[in-house]
Amino acid sequence: MAGLARFFGGRLIKAVAILFAIVVMNFLLVHAAPGDPATVMAGEAGAGDAQFVAQLREQFGLDRPLVVQLGTYIGHVSTGDLGFSYRQQKPVWELLVQRLPATLVLTASAFALALVLGIGLGTLAAVHAGTLRDGAITVLALLAYATPIYWIGLMLILLFSVRLGWLPAFGYETVGAGLTGIAHLADIAKHMVLPVATLGLFYMAVYARLTRASIQEVRDMDFVKTARAKGLRESTVVFRHILRNAILPVITVAGVQAGQLIGGSILIETVFAWPGIGRLAFEAVLQRDYQVLLGIFFISSVMVIVFNIVTDLIYSLIDPRIDLAS
Amino acid sequence: MRSKTFWQAYARNKAARFGLVIMILVVVLGLFAGVLFPASPWDMVNAPFLPPLSDGALLGTDTLGRDIAAGIAYGARVSLLIGMTSTAVAVVVGVTLGALAGFFGGWVDDALMRFTELFQTIPNFVLTVVLVAIFTPSQRSIISAIAIVSWPPLARLARAEFMSLRSREFVQAAMTTGQSNMAIIFREILPNSLSPLIVSASLMVATAVLLESSLSFLGLGDPNAMSWGYMIGSARTVIRQAWWMSFFPGLAILLTVLALNLIGEGLNDALNPRLSRQGKA
Amino acid sequence: MRQRCPQGHRYRDRLRFLVPIGLMALVLGVQAWLATPVMAADGPTRGGTMNIIVQPEPPILQLGLNQQAPTQMVAGKIYQGLLTYDQKLNPLPSLAKSWDISPDGLTYTFHLQEGVKWHDGKPFTAKDVVFSTTKFLPEVHPRARASFAHCETITAPDDHTVVFKLKEPFPSFLYAFEVSAAPIVPAHIYEGTDFRNNPANATPIGTGPFKLQEWVKGSFIHLVRNDDYYKPGRPYLDGIYFRVIPDAASRALALESGQVDESQYNDIEPFDVASLKKAPNLEMTTAGYEFDAPVSWIEINHRVKPLDDKRFRQALMYAIDRDFIRDKIWFGLGRVATGPVNSRTRQFEPDVPKYSKDLAKARALLDDMGLKPDANGVRTHLRFLVMPYGETWQRLAEFIKVSLRQIGVDITLENTDVAGWVQKVSNWDFDLTSNFLYQYGDPALGVSRTYVSSNIRKGVMFSNTMGYSNPKVDDLFAAAAKENDPVKRQAAYSEMQRLVVEDVPVVWLLEMEFPTFVNKKFKNVITTGLGVIDSYDEVFMVKP
Repeated sequence: MAGLARFFGGRLIKAVAILFAIVVMNFLLVHAAPGDPATVMAGEAGAGDAQFVAQLREQFGLDRPLVVQLGTYIGHVSTGDLGFSYRQQKPVWELLVQRLPATLVLTASAFALALVLGIGLGTLAAVHAGTLRDGAITVLALLAYATPIYWIGLMLILLFSVRLGWLPAFGYETVGAGLTGIAHLADIAKHMVLPVATLGLFYMAVYARLTRASIQEVRDMDFVKTARAKGLRESTVVFRHILRNAILPVITVAGVQAGQLIGGSILIETVFAWPGIGRLAFEAVLQRDYQVLLGIFFISSVMVIVFNIVTDLIYSLIDPRIDLAS
Repeated sequence: MRSKTFWQAYARNKAARFGLVIMILVVVLGLFAGVLFPASPWDMVNAPFLPPLSDGALLGTDTLGRDIAAGIAYGARVSLLIGMTSTAVAVVVGVTLGALAGFFGGWVDDALMRFTELFQTIPNFVLTVVLVAIFTPSQRSIISAIAIVSWPPLARLARAEFMSLRSREFVQAAMTTGQSNMAIIFREILPNSLSPLIVSASLMVATAVLLESSLSFLGLGDPNAMSWGYMIGSARTVIRQAWWMSFFPGLAILLTVLALNLIGEGLNDALNPRLSRQGKA
Repeated sequence: MRQRCPQGHRYRDRLRFLVPIGLMALVLGVQAWLATPVMAADGPTRGGTMNIIVQPEPPILQLGLNQQAPTQMVAGKIYQGLLTYDQKLNPLPSLAKSWDISPDGLTYTFHLQEGVKWHDGKPFTAKDVVFSTTKFLPEVHPRARASFAHCETITAPDDHTVVFKLKEPFPSFLYAFEVSAAPIVPAHIYEGTDFRNNPANATPIGTGPFKLQEWVKGSFIHLVRNDDYYKPGRPYLDGIYFRVIPDAASRALALESGQVDESQYNDIEPFDVASLKKAPNLEMTTAGYEFDAPVSWIEINHRVKPLDDKRFRQALMYAIDRDFIRDKIWFGLGRVATGPVNSRTRQFEPDVPKYSKDLAKARALLDDMGLKPDANGVRTHLRFLVMPYGETWQRLAEFIKVSLRQIGVDITLENTDVAGWVQKVSNWDFDLTSNFLYQYGDPALGVSRTYVSSNIRKGVMFSNTMGYSNPKVDDLFAAAAKENDPVKRQAAYSEMQRLVVEDVPVVWLLEMEFPTFVNKKFKNVITTGLGVIDSYDEVFMVKP
C-alpha cells in the first residue's frame, strides 16, 4: 500500500506541474488570437459603437494587462473556479457540467462497444489466422480505420435516416415529445444508435487490429507452449494465458484514447448535432469564448492525466509483475 | 539494406502492393489534374445538382454546378501536399528533439520529455482546431497545426532508438576516437534508427491526411484550395438532395488513407521484420 | 394641426385595406378587445404548445443587453416595446395604446396601456418607460443610445403618459420604439444596479405574454403563458419551446417531420426551401421582415488602390451576375438590389442608374483606368474576406472569385471566424468582404450609418467601414433626417439615392428575403412587419 501512496503522490505532483504549464500556455495561445469576445458580441449585436465595446471590455476585465489577467485566471483555477462566460452569462463550470453527461453517455457507450467488439473480433481473427474469417475481419478493421469518422456518420445518416427512415439523424432526444420514464430512455437510446455506432466503429477497428497483432506475437511464446504442453483446454489457453498478456498494448492505447475522447467528439457531435462538450468546444472557438475554451482545455487535460493513471493501475492488476512505484 | 532485398520483402505483402498501386494512382491524379480538368475546380461548368454519369459530369456536380470529379483530382494535390509537408515538419521537429533527449540524457532528456508530455496531454484534435482557428485557416497554418500535434510520438520513438543505439559498441567506438557529437548523431546513430522512423512517418502521413480533411470538414480549411474534406463539409447539408457530393470525396479519402496504411505496414514488414506492429495511436 | 391616433379611427382605416387582402387576423390580433370578435369555425382556442427553432442559441435573454436576432425572437415574447409596426411599416400599439405628435415634430406623447403588470406582479407604469429610455438603454444599447440622444427631456406627467421632447425635428423617431430597438425594462429591478451584472439578467422580467420557465443550455428555452397578461384571454398558447438545433440538415428534417413548428431567418438553407415548400404540413412566407429589410452587398475598402476609383467599383458592379446569385446561390430568395434603400422601405427611389451584367463594359472601365492585364490576364490582385455567417456566404465568395477572374481581378479568399471578421472589417484591414445590414424601417435609422462620412469610425462595426465620403450625400442625409415635410424629405432621399448609386460605394447584391416556415396548425403567426420577433399573443393552435 505504501507503494501505491508513493505512486499517487508522485503522479499528483507531476500532474499539477503539467497542468500549470498547460494553463499558462493555453491562456497565452488563446489571447494571441485577433479579436476578443467584446468584438464578437458587438458584431453579433448588429451595432456597436466604441463605448459599447469599451464597456464590454471593462466588464470582462479585458482592459487590464495580460499578466494581471493571467494571474487572476490561475488564482481562480487553483481554487476550482474555471471562470465565468459572459457570452452565456453562466459560470464555465456549470456549462461544462451541463454538457458533460451527453458526451460521456455517447463516448462511454461507443468506447465500451468498441472494446468488447474490437477485442472479440481481434481474438477471433487471430485464433483463425489465415482463414476467410480472419481476412474479412482484417479488411473490415482496415477500412473502418482508414475512413474519416464524419463521413461514416454521414453515410449512416444517408442510409438509416434518409433512405430507410429507421433512426433519427440528429439530436439527443425527440424535441417536444414530452416523454417520460422508459419511453424517454428508449427515445434517447434510439438517438444514440447512429452516433455510437459511428464513433465505436473507428475505435473498434483500432482494438481489433491491435488485439490480433498482439495475440499473434504472444501465442508462440514459451509460457503458452508450456500451458499447451500441460494439456489445458484451448479456450483456457486463449483466455487465461494469451489474451491476458496480449491485452496490455490494447489497454495502453485505450487509456490514451479515453483521455482524448473529448477531441474526437467534436466531429461526431457536429455531424449528429449532439449537445455535448465537443460542440461546446467548437462553438467556443468560433465565438472566442475564452473562459469556456480554457475550461474545456483544462478538464480535457485533466482527463488525459486521470486516464494515464487509471491505465497504469489496470496494468498492475492484470500483470502483477509491474511495480507501480518504480 | 540493399534495394533488391527490400523490394522482395515489400512485394511479398500483397496488401502493400495494392496500397502502392492506389497511391501511385492518387499521385498521378493529383499531378495531372490540370491536364485532365483544364478548368479550375471552382468554375461553374455545368448545371447544379447533376447526378453522377450525367453529360460532362462523370461524378455529378455540386450546388453551384462545379464538377465533383475535377474537385477530387485537385483535392488530391491538397491532401497529399499537406499530408507530406506536415509530416516532414513533424519528423524534423520530433526527431531532433528525440535525438537530443536520447543522446544527451540527463537534464536535457528530462526537460525535453516534460515538454513532449505537455503536448501529449492536451487533446490533439482540440489543439489543432484551436490553432487553425486562431491563426486563420491557410495552408501554412494547417500544416503547422498538424505538425505541432504530430511530433511527440516521433520524438519518443527517436529518443528510444537513440538511447539504445548510444550504448552499442560501434557508437562507443566512435566516441573514443573523438568524433564530434554531431558527427556521431548524423553518421552513426541516425542511419541505424531510420527504419522505424520511416515506418512511423509513412503512417503519420495517413493521419495527417485525415486531420486535414477533418479540419476542412469543419470549415477550417484553406478557402482557396479545393480539398476533399471541404467538399464533404459543404455537401453535408445537402445530403438529402445530393448523396454523390459527399460520397465520392469520402471514397477518395478512404482509398488514400487505406493505401498509406497498407504501404506503412509493407514498409514495416520489409524494414523491421521483427518489430511488433504497435499501432499508431 | 395635431396628429391624433384615436383607436377607433385607426381601426376602421386599417380595416379598409386589410380585409381585401385577407389579413382579418391581423386586425383581430392587434385590437381584438375593441372589435366584436369575428371568429371562423376553427377560431382561436386556448391551449397548445409551439416549438420554434432558435439558432444560434441566444447568449442571454435580457433584450436590452443583446440584440442578436435569436435573442430578439425569444425575448420579444417576454419584453415589449411601446409600439410595433405593420407590414407597410405603419406604427401599431403595443405598450402604448395611442400617441400624439405635435405639429412642429418636437413633442411625442405616448399614452400607455392600463392594467399592465410585470412578470413579478408589480405594476408597469410610465416610470419604467422613463427609466428605460433615460438610464438603462442609453447605457447598454448602442442603437437606443443614438435614438434617445435626440431627446431634450423625457418625462412622465402621470403613471400612464410619457412625453419625449426632441432637440430638433426627427421624423424617424416614431420608428425607435419596437421591442428590440427599445425594450422596456422594469425600473424596480434595475434602478441603481450594475445593469450588465444584475443577477436578474438570468431571469428576465418583462410585461410580455410569455414568461421564462426553463432554459437548458444547448437544448431548449421554455416559455409559458403569462396568466396576468393585460389583454383578456391572451395569449392563446400554453407555452413556446425554442429548440436549439445547430445543424441545418437536421433543422429541415425536424420541420418536415413536425418535430418543430416554425423556422425563420437563415434556419433553412436556401437549397432546402423548394422541397420544404411542398411539404403538406408547412406554409412558407417571406413576409414579416419589412422592418428589418436587409440589403446585402460586397463591402469595398476605399482606402485600397484601385478600389478608390469609382470606375473600378462600377466595373465590379458590371462583372457580377446578381441574378445568378439570387437564383443559384440563394435559390430564388430575394430581389436584386438597385441601391442603398430596400424597396420595402418607404423612401425607396426606383429611378436610379442601373447596372446589369456586362463584362465588356467592365473591361472597358478597367482599360480606361489604365489597368492592363499581364501575361496571365491578371490586372490586379485583391483579398476577399469571407463573411463567417454560414455556407451560403462561403458559396457567394467562391462565386465572386470566379466572376472577377473573368475581368482580370484575381481574388484570394481569406477565411476567419466572427471575431476575426469583425476585428478586421471594423479596423479597415480588408480589401473586399460581404455584409448585410438591416434598415430598421427608416433610412435615418438604418441606411445613413453606412454612407455618411461622419460615421467613418475606426474600430466600430457596421459604421461607414468603407471610408466612403461624398459631401453632397452627407448634406442630403442630414437635411432629410430633420425634415418634417414628407415631400421635401422624399426629394432629398431620392436625390441621395441617385448620387450614391452613381458612386457605387458598395456593390449591392440582394434585398434579402428570409423564408419563414410555419406549421399549418398554427394561425396568426406572422402578422406584423416585425414578424417572428413580435409577441405572439394572438397565435393560436387549430384543433386537429
